[in-house]
Amino acid sequence: MEQALLAFSHETGIFDFMHSPWGWPVVESLHFFGLSLLIGTVGVFDLRMLGLGSGIAYRHLHRLVPVGVFGYALNVVTGTMFLSSAPDQYLYNPAFQTKLGFMLLAGCNVLWFYTTCSTEVRATADFQAVRGRAKLIGAVSLLAWCAIIACGRLITYYRPPYHWCFWC
Amino acid sequence: MLRESGVAFFSSLTLHSLAMAFVVGVNLALAFSLLGLIPSLLNKRFEPFFTLHWWAVGLIFVSGVALLIAYPAKALTNPVFYLKFTALSAGLLITRRLQRSMRCQIANHQPPPDDEPSNEAPTAFAMLACWVVTIGAGRFLAYTHSVLLASRYF
Repeated sequence: MEQALLAFSHETGIFDFMHSPWGWPVVESLHFFGLSLLIGTVGVFDLRMLGLGSGIAYRHLHRLVPVGVFGYALNVVTGTMFLSSAPDQYLYNPAFQTKLGFMLLAGCNVLWFYTTCSTEVRATADFQAVRGRAKLIGAVSLLAWCAIIACGRLITYYRPPYHWCFWC
Repeated sequence: MLRESGVAFFSSLTLHSLAMAFVVGVNLALAFSLLGLIPSLLNKRFEPFFTLHWWAVGLIFVSGVALLIAYPAKALTNPVFYLKFTALSAGLLITRRLQRSMRCQIANHQPPPDDEPSNEAPTAFAMLACWVVTIGAGRFLAYTHSVLLASRYF
């Protein structure tokens, strides 16, 4: 896995770019910008479902979701650039593994939202509260993204050679 | 002490990132509404988000001061730190100005431009530029310092 990622990074030129003086900070900036796009769109929508900003139309805020999807795609691309440029720093890192776990949770939560209550939420009147399930989905989403940010910061603290991973 | 305590430093860093993501996120949502992607968010219904936004700004300030205390020489000797501070201040001034004009509209009983997409592209682009520079400078801060600790001079 580690070798395959490194080979991919070398073949595509990602490795050389990331190890140039500008590579890492530029990609980190894009990664954080993508995250902010997610918080500004999905996060604001989650807070609205939890009852903040009563009167703001759910369907209007939902129109920002494609921007959030763009932010997510930006994060997947930049995240892959980090991972493939230094796979040993990530693959055995418990903070990274936990971050992936929360990303999976956020992904399942999105699926849960779109398969169960997205139409209903968008049709809810501006001053009406959404049902309990939608509130739960909003809370899980917010908590998952906060945890993803915290784990992202923690990655630096568990870098090799100090392998703190208990299950690797 | 803050520098040596892993938990304190990590907590400051994490809170700084969380609060920054929220503040930038809310401002990006506002910028998109100014660009007409969605109907304007500048009405009294958005006020609770503004309240939460200013609390997050307070958190950015407190955690930022904590990080500055941990490595004062690293930040204060780096021009990128001043660039971040300037872009952040400019971004927040624009938000404050937008909030003030929204409150004036409400006080003058002007109807909120709910269903009309607003066209305030220059303000929106200025906001986007400020927040992109703030994020970029924040990340570059970690890579561009020439002095880590002032003790190297003693």
